Amino acid sequence: MGNPDYNWYILFPNHREGLRLNRELKERGIKNTIAPTPRIASTSCGISLIVDEADLDDIKQIITDREISIERMVQVPVQNSWQYRSC
Amino acid sequence: MADYRQMWTDLKMDLDKHDLLCEVLPEAFGGVYLSQKNRPQGMDFYDFVVSEIHGVRPAELIEHQKAGGKVFGTFCVYVPDEVIFAAGGIAAGLCGGSQFWVSGGEKVLPPNTCPLIKASVGARLDKTCPFFLIADMYVGETTCDGKKKAWEILAGEVPVHVMDIPQMKREKDIAEFQAEIMEFIKVVEKVTGNKVTSEALGQSIKLINEKRRALQRLYATRKAAPVPISGKDALLVTQIAFYDDPARCAAMANKLSEELEERIGRKEGVFPEDALRILVTGTPLAIPNWKLHHIIETAGAAVVVEELCTGTRYFENLVDESGTTIEEQVKALAERYMKTNCACFTPNPGRIDDIVRLADEYKVDGIIDTNLQFCNLYSTESYLVKQALASHDIPVLHIETDYSEQDYEQLRTRVEAFLEILRK
Repeated sequence: MGNPDYNWYILFPNHREGLRLNRELKERGIKNTIAPTPRIASTSCGISLIVDEADLDDIKQIITDREISIERMVQVPVQNSWQYRSC
Repeated sequence: MADYRQMWTDLKMDLDKHDLLCEVLPEAFGGVYLSQKNRPQGMDFYDFVVSEIHGVRPAELIEHQKAGGKVFGTFCVYVPDEVIFAAGGIAAGLCGGSQFWVSGGEKVLPPNTCPLIKASVGARLDKTCPFFLIADMYVGETTCDGKKKAWEILAGEVPVHVMDIPQMKREKDIAEFQAEIMEFIKVVEKVTGNKVTSEALGQSIKLINEKRRALQRLYATRKAAPVPISGKDALLVTQIAFYDDPARCAAMANKLSEELEERIGRKEGVFPEDALRILVTGTPLAIPNWKLHHIIETAGAAVVVEELCTGTRYFENLVDESGTTIEEQVKALAERYMKTNCACFTPNPGRIDDIVRLADEYKVDGIIDTNLQFCNLYSTESYLVKQALASHDIPVLHIETDYSEQDYEQLRTRVEAFLEILRK
């Protein structure tokens, strides 16, 4: 079990690499969610993947094996008390 | 991270201001969308589109322009995309649904203008949306007074063509709209430099019909109980359909529908089977306006259908594909588009018939009739909607709101009270 107060985000240099990893993880049944990169993680826009902490080692291996380029993995606090905010 | 700054700089966007929008979107999308449980896998694509909302599709449109193509920004479901695609152009829906753009519009528009118009004008004037800056031409229409005047303001920024939409649905009005489409063809041909042939128009009629069929298929899955997809997710699909590539839109909606049909087979849903089922009707909910759906669905009810421009009005009714001449095809286009029921028409019994029919088809427990602030047409029509629904014994709640979060808690209380009544 990972820390429920945090989410792990994987950041990418471009969307193609993000979609590649998304596809690889889906094929292996590893849970991942495409999400806009939170500002706290990066000032650039674009996709990131939210993954479970328990899967991190497997994911790192897939990234190496499939030569997927990532920027970094980063822990972001979960916003449990989020109140609706329009954008 | 994907860096679109060069593209945005080339478009002369206000990067500092745009950065503020980039800051709030991930948080809002996370709170509204990613917080949902058991979402269909097919929503991955739509999450991707939102994550790259001002990047991937704008880059595709720019590539199209580099290859000599033109991009037409549209604001209404009465503008026939078929004509634009037949001339090798791309139509991209530009309706503004962001509170972020409203203040930009308020600099030039009266305060009592609807937020959709304010946001659309603000997005252009503040230079904070790439789509608004990419479009070679805006195609406006005459569906309300606010829009009619807004086109005149926007015409100072970008070439604008305004289509005259009839306000009644007599035979002569449909014939007039046919003539209007013929004139639109000439305008599009001039801008693109390409002739609209009957062959090309026939192909684009099929292309847009395919998109409509895919969205119809998706919506049909929402008739099931338990409902296999949330209203928020279905709304997002429709919102994105307005500016995505039509063939890709159809493919992704069909793929998602396939997954939802499998869920139905397994009796798998995102709400309990006995959850309240709500129909939302009224003014469009342009992206990223997710407020009302979020309120309804976090209160435990499922939105199962939208009688909105960002809903059934967008894809119900297909264009007859049998025409072989431009005249026959344009007549078929006029007939199809004039079947869409907007409150700008008088009288407009077709919309009420649609609401009653959809309420039955989707087995809804109640209806929320919503209109954007200062939308005189839909606000006035709500009286007739309420009368008609009372005669059919269908409970209805009328809500007037905007894009801001100012009235969020007030609305939540009203919606929760309405749902409580429905549960009794």
